[in-house]
Amino acid sequence: MKLRPILGYTAAGATVLAAMLTPFLLYGFFANRFTALPLQVDEVYSGGPKVRAVQKGAYSIDIHRPVHPHFLQSEKPFVELDWTPVSALPQHVSDMVDIDGNGQPDVRVSFDVPSDPKAPMRVDVEPLNPRYQAMHNVGKERFSRLIARVDNTILVRVPLANP
Amino acid sequence: MATNACVPRLARPEPRSIGWSLLLTLPILVWSLLMFFHPGGATGRQSQIAAGLTALFMTALFFMMMRTGSTYRWRRWFFVSLGLLFPVGFIYNIVLARGTMGIPMEEMIAGRTPFCFIPIPLLILPAALTRTLVFPGTIADTQHGIAAMVGLWLALTLVLGRGWCSYACFFGGIEEGVAAIPARPRIRKIDPRWRYGPWAVLLAMVLLSLALFEPAYCMWLCPFKAVSEYVAARNTIGLVQNGIFILLFAGLVIALPFLTKKRTQCSFFCPFGAFQSIFNKISVFEVKIDKERCKPCQVCQNVCPNLSLSKESIAHGEVLMSCMKCGACVDACPRQAVVWHIKGTEVAWKPERARLMFLYAAWAVAIMFGGSIIAQGIATILHFIL
Repeated sequence: MKLRPILGYTAAGATVLAAMLTPFLLYGFFANRFTALPLQVDEVYSGGPKVRAVQKGAYSIDIHRPVHPHFLQSEKPFVELDWTPVSALPQHVSDMVDIDGNGQPDVRVSFDVPSDPKAPMRVDVEPLNPRYQAMHNVGKERFSRLIARVDNTILVRVPLANP
Repeated sequence: MATNACVPRLARPEPRSIGWSLLLTLPILVWSLLMFFHPGGATGRQSQIAAGLTALFMTALFFMMMRTGSTYRWRRWFFVSLGLLFPVGFIYNIVLARGTMGIPMEEMIAGRTPFCFIPIPLLILPAALTRTLVFPGTIADTQHGIAAMVGLWLALTLVLGRGWCSYACFFGGIEEGVAAIPARPRIRKIDPRWRYGPWAVLLAMVLLSLALFEPAYCMWLCPFKAVSEYVAARNTIGLVQNGIFILLFAGLVIALPFLTKKRTQCSFFCPFGAFQSIFNKISVFEVKIDKERCKPCQVCQNVCPNLSLSKESIAHGEVLMSCMKCGACVDACPRQAVVWHIKGTEVAWKPERARLMFLYAAWAVAIMFGGSIIAQGIATILHFIL
């Protein structure tokens, strides 16, 4: 028997073996290798990493690193602020937030906290620093300009003004 | 592309004996039981009944493949069931979890968008250039995570090549089912240039996904959003997107398969199918044409649901790289000139051995992946009945 058929049958046998090993070994092996890659979900969705937390009594405000969308992405640059836990928030929130950590407040964020977690929310953002854009009665317009409740967090994404 | 009825038909091989067929089916029965009744598997009455029914179904189909020597029609029962039952289980579960088929922004921000295999080719360039995955899901190896689907896709692609589109894709069965309804196609003449459609869509979507940093196909063109989930329409753009999904589904998955008896979405449009064709080159199993036996009657070309045969390819004794390994051409050839083949061996040398080896591999992963989806769909139906 020639070499090529031997290699062909060997590969075919290995393929059958691979099929048998898929649920026990291969699938997990590939999934783990993929997880270990230095990849991250686009920050337009995830909001970017948290850089600081400001304690406000029973709740805290987590401040994320500003997100700058890529090339032709339709979103604008923004910064995400998280109020958590929702259960500790008053019915109406109006906080001045120092986003860049220089000791001066950058925005005043105001919103009502409905008791129904699925109720639509609206936010007002008054910029105290020209780097940030105002938002008036904004709901979920786009990923770079919204207020949303995700689990036990209310997050507000404030668009950055054009440089 | 009319069939030449004058080609002398060679006698079909005798069916295998029941005993021999049962013996060949035994490994698949054991595999089915292992997959559906392993410790930590199906719990609850409906799930266990569904697992039992699915194991029986998959084993019976394999037995019929062994007994009759035919692949396509038995595989089609599995594949159409997969296509019909996937939406049942999937939609029920997401409606249960979030109350709607539309994905709200909150779920995308939380990374809870289930990841399907179709955007995989669209993620490669942005990931390679910026280490960023342009999908609102989670990477972690959870059930609907990106890593889980990528891991499964890699493993199954090693086994199947583009056979993925006949043994693993949980969408293609819908159009295959629709294509099976009419006795004859209403549209017979299809311009062969349509074969390049999926490649054009793939190229356009890969470039658009890189430029816009979003899974462009999922956002704008996926017909199967109509039977799975879609971005919740918040504005006019969202309404346009959902309108496109419904129109493409109605056209490519319902109307055209009915008129042509082809899998038109897979043949003319699916970018993942084009991407998966590349992996046929590394797959050891393939379909070949024995040129000595072939009297070019074009029966194989006519029955191919994916336009994967042309006069030129038949003359070369080969199928095109888009072949989905469904077996339609092999079963239909009146002279048994179209055969299953293992690379490196001579064409038509023990083709049944090649078919058996391919089917053991393909059916094993079909039971593991598609079978679990079928079982979930049956369990959902039982939930409403019992």
